[in-house]
Amino acid sequence: MAIEFSIETLATAAELQAGPGTVRPAVSFDAIDGVVPRLIVEPSDTERLASTLAWAARENLRVVVRGGGTKLEWGPSPTAVDLILSTVRLNALVDHRHGDLTATVQAGAKLGEVNRQLKQHGQWLPLDPPWPDRSTIGGVVATNESGPRRHRYGTPRDLIIGMHLARVDGRLVKAGGIVVKNVAGYDLARLFTGSFGSLGVIVAATFKLVPLAPASRTVVVELPTPSSVGALVADLLGKQLGPTAVELQLPQPRLLIRFESVESAAEQQAANAAKLAEGYGWKVRVLDGDDESALWMDYSRRPFETEGTVIKLSILPGEVSGTLAWLEKTTITHQLTYELSGRVGVGVMYLKLDGEDEAQERFLKELRCRLPVGQGSATIVRAASNLKSRVDVWGPVGDGLNIMRAVKNRFDPTGILNPGRGPGGL
Amino acid sequence: MDNAFLDELERVVGNDGIVRDAAELLTYESDALTRLRGKPAVAVLPDSRAQVQQVIRLCHKSGVPFVARGHGTGLSGGALPVSDGVLIVLTRLNRIIDVDIPNQRITVEPGVKNLEVTRQVAPFGYYYAPDPSSQVICSIGGNVAENSGGAHCLKYGFTVHHVLGLEVILPDGELVHLGGPAVDPPGLDLIGVLVGSEGTLAVVTQVTLRLLRQPQAVRTLLAAFDSTETAGNAVSDVIGSGVIPAAIEMMDRLTIEAAEAAVHPKFPNANAVLIVEIDGPISEVTEVFDLVQTICQRNGASVIQVAQDESERQRIWMGRKAAFAAMGRVSPNYYVQDGVIPRTKLPEVLRRIRTLEIESGLKIGNVFHAGDGNLHPLVCYDQSVEGQGELAEKVANEILTYCLDVGGSITGEHGIGADKVHQLPKMFSEDDLDTMQLVRCAFDPTNLCNPGKVFPTPRLCGEVPGPYRRHPVEEAGLAERF
Repeated sequence: MAIEFSIETLATAAELQAGPGTVRPAVSFDAIDGVVPRLIVEPSDTERLASTLAWAARENLRVVVRGGGTKLEWGPSPTAVDLILSTVRLNALVDHRHGDLTATVQAGAKLGEVNRQLKQHGQWLPLDPPWPDRSTIGGVVATNESGPRRHRYGTPRDLIIGMHLARVDGRLVKAGGIVVKNVAGYDLARLFTGSFGSLGVIVAATFKLVPLAPASRTVVVELPTPSSVGALVADLLGKQLGPTAVELQLPQPRLLIRFESVESAAEQQAANAAKLAEGYGWKVRVLDGDDESALWMDYSRRPFETEGTVIKLSILPGEVSGTLAWLEKTTITHQLTYELSGRVGVGVMYLKLDGEDEAQERFLKELRCRLPVGQGSATIVRAASNLKSRVDVWGPVGDGLNIMRAVKNRFDPTGILNPGRGPGGL
Repeated sequence: MDNAFLDELERVVGNDGIVRDAAELLTYESDALTRLRGKPAVAVLPDSRAQVQQVIRLCHKSGVPFVARGHGTGLSGGALPVSDGVLIVLTRLNRIIDVDIPNQRITVEPGVKNLEVTRQVAPFGYYYAPDPSSQVICSIGGNVAENSGGAHCLKYGFTVHHVLGLEVILPDGELVHLGGPAVDPPGLDLIGVLVGSEGTLAVVTQVTLRLLRQPQAVRTLLAAFDSTETAGNAVSDVIGSGVIPAAIEMMDRLTIEAAEAAVHPKFPNANAVLIVEIDGPISEVTEVFDLVQTICQRNGASVIQVAQDESERQRIWMGRKAAFAAMGRVSPNYYVQDGVIPRTKLPEVLRRIRTLEIESGLKIGNVFHAGDGNLHPLVCYDQSVEGQGELAEKVANEILTYCLDVGGSITGEHGIGADKVHQLPKMFSEDDLDTMQLVRCAFDPTNLCNPGKVFPTPRLCGEVPGPYRRHPVEEAGLAERF
């Protein structure tokens, strides 16, 4: 067991696997919800990462995989962490096959940097989560994270076509391939996408890419009250427009509707959407160029840039009106303040709460009552460890939990990866 | 199979839900890959989730293997029955459970036909995107098993991109719900791995699908070229220009002639034709469609036919979608492959296929989803000529090695099934396959659910965690452990 070794002994052993100069004791900066790991290991290549992982499994060390560290606090607080296994040195854009619109990227590469390189050929990996310059490909895939453009392009799950993985027994394996269409064998790349580092370590991923659109417009709709947001959104989605993003922001209700296409089409569609919103009597602006970029830059980090609990809320797009009315009412009842922003067209939004822990706990319980399994979910992505310890961070998983556990047990039989931090205690 | 077991099955599905007669069972000998045949001990046609569950429980209890089957249109023998096993035919589970237009969702049973989904929602202005060529007859359950694509998956993705929820019966009879109408449920994405698992992990009893709003405009053209190379160059230029068409399909001379003979789509006399479809908002489609025409002209298109109305568009698509079946008009037998290559390798691979055609003396037609590099070479042969069937198989497999040489895949949409189990190890290492088997073992540790498909060798799953014990079968040298 890990506790039997001193940090020095452990570090020496880790360095044998990960390579010279790749191991250091953790500092407070490395803490996850206040829990300081013992060692930080940054293997210098894929093979060394795999052998480090196998060693950790043999020694029964509790491992958390880290990329940019932007989402480590998602999930319940860990009880203890022996090893942070970092992908930071595996940061190459391995191959950009621009004629095929695909790219293979190592897990530790930063999304922003990757997209700067892909831009040289007029392409991008259409994912726009907050902090692209800090988030790594591995982290974005492991959490299946996306941003406003999810409305058009989906999440990593929709873009991934292949993956290289390190198993806990140290084997390096691949799934999928480099072609956009492929049904040979099980789709392990999708299984690992969104698995929060619980099955193995993603060391590289291959994606299909899209061409950068030549033109963009954003329609900004400012609404007096949230009460008619649902009607406008439903109306907009029912029209044959092709927005790349439809974002809602509260408490000062604002809708951001983005169109990216050839110049004339972006212009025309923005005008159509603006007309639609004006028909509801709301204030509408259409932005392009620097104003538009600045707007999205400012928006992208919401609601994470200020303190408070953040809940990822998934609802049916048709339930927007009812949910907003309920939010308004229930936050008042529990004396909470809130902010909301997110993909209203898809039904995924981030809800930021401030107020007493007990009140937040009651609020979350009532919120989840509205969301039977499959019909929606409310997952805490950030909260004080105090609150996290009182509630089920992920929320109910449903009757699929047993089979998920069976899969987890096959991949990580001794449970060294992110122990106890997954949904349903996986 | 003992009679007591058969009687128990009959009690579950009723006497009109079971086929025990050897002659009647012939119907179920194969799917659309008729070369591979097998006779199940019995076929059952349950008409409810509860019946499916009871059938599987019985199989599990008695250690009897079972295979799920939809409408039998699969092209890789994925629904090939296991002798001494139960074939679970899901065609009676064909109810539409819920049409939810405000949320753009539909929930159906697995026996519902692909095109029926679109028929249900078309009056509201919606459709279901994946459109395999067999869509008038193939079932949603089969589409889920195979992760079916179709001509329009270039822009809209495959079945896996459109399945939001699954209700499945696990191989031990447990009923499980995964996902649902809302996205991002907490937990592992088991839908991602179940879709395309070819019926080896579970039997699906309900599917919730995403619907799309019909595009405001659709424009389709047919362009004729003097060679597949020039047509291929046009494809590269279209994609390179930053356009993602709804579909780009290519047919060569042999398949054009076959389609002409079968359904008379009035395609021009050419060595290659491209079908390009652009959809979306009118303003976008107008501009992009002009660009595509210019690109085709620049690449030497001799004729460009633009569909002027929906019936002309349907005529073009009929020619394309009939291509497989039409090969019967030009050849007594043919062998279809489903390889995928990076699109930029198209000229190179087509050249190698042409050399192979000359060397083997067998005609090879080519019809393919050019936009995503999914080839469907049709190797023509005559079964009555001794040795030609074997030669055709050899030639077809040779084409797959060309695909692998350039980093491609042995199957883009037809699946591994029983047909390509021995090809899979050419694409994946032993360790890669072992990793897939971890999933298999989690779902089906006793290997009863569609055994013999996808993987070349059966493996024993063992218990995890726990000490290693040799299984009797392993001791007898009949299987290996991983």
